[in-house]
Amino acid sequence: MSNPLMTHSAGLVPAVLDFIRRTAPDASTADRWSASEVDQRFDDLARRLFAVQVRENPPYAALGRSRGISPDNLPSWRDIPPVPTAAFQQFAITCLPPAERLREFRSSGTTGHQPSRNYHGTESLAVYEASLRPWFAEHVLAELAELEDAELLRPGDRPGFLSLTPPPELVPHSSLVHMFGAAFASFGARDSVFAGRVDASGAWELDLDRTLFALRKSMCANRPVFLLGTAFNYVQLLDHFEANNIRYRLAEGSRVLETGGYKGRTRELTRSALANLITRYLGIPASRIGTEYGMCELASQAYNRPACGETKLRFPPWARVLIRSPETGRELPLGAVGLIQVVDLANVASVMAIQTGDLGVAHPDGSFELQGRAAEPEPRGCSLNVIGTDSITNARTP
Amino acid sequence: MNLPNLFLADLGPELELSAQTVREACFALRRNRELWLRQQRTRTLVELISYVGDQWRDTANHFRTQALKAAPELGLGATTLARGLDLWLAGLTPETLEALIVQDLGDPKRLDGFVSSSPEHRTGRQSHAHGPELLAHFCAGNLPVPALMSLVLGVLTKSAQFFQVPAAGGIVPRLFAHSLAQVEPKLGACLEFASWPRTRVDLSDVLLNEAGCVTVTGRDERVAALRARTPERTRFLAYGHRISFSYIAHDVLTIYGLKRLATEAATDVVTWNQLGCLSPHVIYVQENGVISPEGFAVALAEQLATREQSEPQGPLPAAAAAAIHSARTVYEMRRAGASIAFDRAREESAFFEPATTIQLWRSEESTAWTVVLDTDPAFKTSCLNRFIYVKPIKRFADVLRFAEPVRAHLSTVALAVPDDVAPALAMELAHWGATRICRVGQMQAPALPWRHDGRPALGDLVTWTDWEE
Repeated sequence: MSNPLMTHSAGLVPAVLDFIRRTAPDASTADRWSASEVDQRFDDLARRLFAVQVRENPPYAALGRSRGISPDNLPSWRDIPPVPTAAFQQFAITCLPPAERLREFRSSGTTGHQPSRNYHGTESLAVYEASLRPWFAEHVLAELAELEDAELLRPGDRPGFLSLTPPPELVPHSSLVHMFGAAFASFGARDSVFAGRVDASGAWELDLDRTLFALRKSMCANRPVFLLGTAFNYVQLLDHFEANNIRYRLAEGSRVLETGGYKGRTRELTRSALANLITRYLGIPASRIGTEYGMCELASQAYNRPACGETKLRFPPWARVLIRSPETGRELPLGAVGLIQVVDLANVASVMAIQTGDLGVAHPDGSFELQGRAAEPEPRGCSLNVIGTDSITNARTP
Repeated sequence: MNLPNLFLADLGPELELSAQTVREACFALRRNRELWLRQQRTRTLVELISYVGDQWRDTANHFRTQALKAAPELGLGATTLARGLDLWLAGLTPETLEALIVQDLGDPKRLDGFVSSSPEHRTGRQSHAHGPELLAHFCAGNLPVPALMSLVLGVLTKSAQFFQVPAAGGIVPRLFAHSLAQVEPKLGACLEFASWPRTRVDLSDVLLNEAGCVTVTGRDERVAALRARTPERTRFLAYGHRISFSYIAHDVLTIYGLKRLATEAATDVVTWNQLGCLSPHVIYVQENGVISPEGFAVALAEQLATREQSEPQGPLPAAAAAAIHSARTVYEMRRAGASIAFDRAREESAFFEPATTIQLWRSEESTAWTVVLDTDPAFKTSCLNRFIYVKPIKRFADVLRFAEPVRAHLSTVALAVPDDVAPALAMELAHWGATRICRVGQMQAPALPWRHDGRPALGDLVTWTDWEE
């Protein structure tokens, strides 16, 4: 096998998969490591991954050279140099040789911008899916047992998903839709649907007929429905409800997962304003409206726990968050507002340390809170960036 | 801030505005203008403005002090704000203000009554220029000068003025209006400042309908949105975003001139933290001189480091700092050999493009200043806040070729070239689209009567009445 991730250091992909298996919420007690062992193994695996990534990934090797950081000179996983998401717009940041780049996830970006690109091969996609499943199940399917107890779902039955995005075959470069597709296959009922489509300009739009049909069907059967989509997907749906004065009351136990993402759209709502509208028009309480945070440059996702009223987001144990000062780039102490950096072991084929352009605060328990996106600032003076801008990308958008 | 409650914006952000309030304010402004401002002589107003300008040049002035305290909210250091304001205030003399009136309207008394200039006399006419009853300004961004200049122009045309300002960005113009009102309360009664979010279209609609003339600064989308809502009869003046750059010819880049030139270029980068549309994104430096473009970049970096001591960059918003970090990391990677993967233009180019080399100079442990030497001559817009590209270029004609993508947005081109070639280059630039050409070091210091975006700023506000006897 030619893939360095498999050949060097006795196979890193199996090691990452093993880490995920043993630290996932559904791990058996026999497999579990103690907290200190998890820390030790995380650091160890991060070092081994860094050694491969900095060697096999030419743009990343350049950054390592420039910073004078090498596998032999790395005090801790915290010192692994992060790559800004903007770099994914310019460089092919991947360990995969061109022939092994089977999939390419892209950020949407606004027109005129280069999208970020993150490549995946067979193994890295397997890790991607191994990473997304347990954490999705833990957060989105948390109350499945309750639904069964309330006889809203028969034991062993799968919940019906309704994604407001286009289906994977129409948007093969969307990591979000790939993730939904994988979740459908693993956890969804057979009649789960993607109700979005792509218009002539390539923009995502909602197929309202399909969406309303699916919603009505679940209401008639009094079956909970799990809605998935970007914030703007929901805005489009709710605008229709508002304009036509429609109100649905979806079956008890229905849930909403919202993934952010408004970029380039005319209307933006705050999270709480959107949640209020969802409650008003779909009858889903705030305690069942969850948030996901992810981007095409990452393989793992963070979720909140709406049932506990938490806005804090949490990555799985194989991805950790650091907060860095936007001014000096140094790591900030807990509680300080700064730029979110993620070290994601599941990001095997590109780089695990990703510097986002999002602002946040980290908490001692490893969770973090978004403090708004460090999006393009307001117009400054009358000067604005028109083309070829060195701007930062936001978290994943459609 | 201890300010009397003259304007709606003085009442604080808690104030919930209604369409009725805005309408009533417009009515009061027009009435006050009719009762007082319209009756004033231009000379009185010119002296009033210069008097307040003098007050603001005094470093102990109460309003100036207040304005400088707001610097962090504007994302600027206090010394940067002070120097930027002083550059503008220097133009507020009676002579310069009258020069502006004569330049745009032909006669200093043109706004006071009917005057006959020589060509008019020959054709048997007198004419009078008069401003709109109510001028509405939709201001964007944090830099105060565009709004300050609008304020002065509107006073000269004896128009009542309503400023819709961003919450932070409106502070300095509002303080200047307070100082005008302190000297002449009746003038204060012809001015209004208010802030409201973009979503309050109902309030913007009232203002657009009440005003005789509307000025808008900001992004193209914002201009288009407001233009679409402005009644047909209303004059609409838009100032969209503009981009500027510099060109240094190798003849002037001598061992003796290097330091002076680098100091002047640093001034252009440091002034207003490079945020104005007159600030350079790129400095093109001609190759094959005594001093190489790299030598110039080193000297510029030294000067920027020096200026950081006397005129620090100040606290940047996190987003701006993050943009600088991100851009620096990308160039750091390119410097260390990472090659660009997705440059479509390059892939499709039929010409052989030599490999680009990158060099990077930057402040340590801060985003204070960054110089990127990039041998790829393609124009690149900067993330600003003292982040400047230096690009080597073979000849001047190449500059125009590589800057073509920003041609439609061009404002100022600063030149450092030998005197004998300057006229030819200026002519070429004028026809290519530059609306202002200046020396390196003067980019953010246009003469007060300059024609903003190539239009007569005062002349565009007035309407003429011709009287044939």
